[in-house]
Amino acid sequence: MKHLLLKLEPFIWLMFGQGILLGTILLTGWLLVVNLGVPLGVVSDAGLEYERAHGLASTLIGKLVLAALCALPIWKGAHHMRHVFIDAGGGDRDAVIAPILYLIATVGTVLSILAVVRL
Amino acid sequence: MAEMLIKKFVVTRFDPDQDDVPRTETYEVPCHPDWKVLDGLNHIKDEIDPTLAHRWSCRMAVCGSCGMNVNGEPTLTCKKAVRDLPDTIEVTPLSNFPVVRDLVVELEGFMDKLKSVKPWIIRAKEKAVEEGPTRQSPEELEEFKQFSMCINCMLCYAACPVVANEPEFIGPAAIALGHRYSIDSRDEGAAERNEIFRGEGTVFSCSYANECSEVCPKNVDPAAAVNQAKFNAVIDWATGLVLPRGGKE
Amino acid sequence: MANAHPHAMAPAKPGKTRTAPPQRPPKFPTGGRYLAYTLFDWTGLIYLLLGFLVLKTIWTLGDGQAAWDAQIASFSHPAYIAFHILSFISVVFVGVRFFRLFPKAQPPRIGPAKPPPAPVILGMLYTVWIGATVLFGAILAGGIF
Repeated sequence: MKHLLLKLEPFIWLMFGQGILLGTILLTGWLLVVNLGVPLGVVSDAGLEYERAHGLASTLIGKLVLAALCALPIWKGAHHMRHVFIDAGGGDRDAVIAPILYLIATVGTVLSILAVVRL
Repeated sequence: MAEMLIKKFVVTRFDPDQDDVPRTETYEVPCHPDWKVLDGLNHIKDEIDPTLAHRWSCRMAVCGSCGMNVNGEPTLTCKKAVRDLPDTIEVTPLSNFPVVRDLVVELEGFMDKLKSVKPWIIRAKEKAVEEGPTRQSPEELEEFKQFSMCINCMLCYAACPVVANEPEFIGPAAIALGHRYSIDSRDEGAAERNEIFRGEGTVFSCSYANECSEVCPKNVDPAAAVNQAKFNAVIDWATGLVLPRGGKE
Repeated sequence: MANAHPHAMAPAKPGKTRTAPPQRPPKFPTGGRYLAYTLFDWTGLIYLLLGFLVLKTIWTLGDGQAAWDAQIASFSHPAYIAFHILSFISVVFVGVRFFRLFPKAQPPRIGPAKPPPAPVILGMLYTVWIGATVLFGAILAGGIF
């Protein structure tokens, strides 16, 4: 397992890095409008009307953006939680904890792709 | 004559023949205002307690031997003025290293890591002397120069949270020195070192705390080197996927 | 002070003298500069939860109008509002810290190409961040398209 992890480290780091870079860039707008602006009544909810939202999300660009919006933060989260465990003295348990976290991230990625494919 | 500063030095002591675990001892030290922490430690050894063990040599932040934690911060004791510190100065051995005695830490682990990254110029074929020197432009020198300023003081290792928990991690200074050669225009060993950087002790263990760069007394910025090495290792890995064996013969 | 890993910086061949175990950096994990680093790591938990929450939201979009409307309406719950405020603070914190550290991670040369100087990279990152937020926010809010 440790050997496999070492082989996958560049890929994991790439996903983690994009989770921070693209994830942060995309999440800022999403949070401001969908999760805070509309619920707090600062932004009109007309933009999130079902027909419009579904129409936009069903385009190829819409699907790519939304899949990235879900999957990349999950990779960032999984990788950083691995560091949290290691920093708490879990270096010796990394070979168990890291695969679990990356499995969660992989499942999240597959579900993200499914979520946009079924739109 | 300038007025002396009375500083309380709280120093870690450990005698492997007598102590189960390290303990602390406190010394009142009359310090000249221009003294560094190292002068205070030398005063303790010369005038108060000759059994104190600590490393030092050049007294001018060049040899890298007098690194210790001063009030919790990895510091070259020859560089830190006592007047800039509070009345109580706590001196402990560098964190993350086994302690041999008092303030002296075990260096061999670092030496092993340093050797592992092949910090020397690797050439596929040595140039004959009559072919003359390998020329390098100032721009090419500038690319790696900062990383070559490392004095192996190991403060970066004492500050790194990853070193504390992952014993195999190559660590900041050694990666910086390996990377320094990989980006040297005269070197041809980058691929070889990328293999090392992706092997056990991988550069990817670094969580970019950036503490190594914060404490570096020579502004080497090891965090930059480690993360550049990661970047190169990813490019190397991606190239290997597209072109098996990295496109090499 | 807490112990570091017992083998931290241990030599491959053990020395002849008994040594005291290595200690972790005394200020780690919440003292001095380590606090920002530790919080940065812990934002991983927020991103992990947030990623799955966004995933659930997109999933409901595929489940039809009733599910979607219910999902959007649920975000008005104070617990969601609190979590999303915390998430927003985390996202901004991650962006500011990471973008500050990003430029120096660029190798001096990628193949024959040289990346732009650090301040230019930083400027580009902030321009993209703010620009993309305005654009994406405007699309989501119905301002454009």
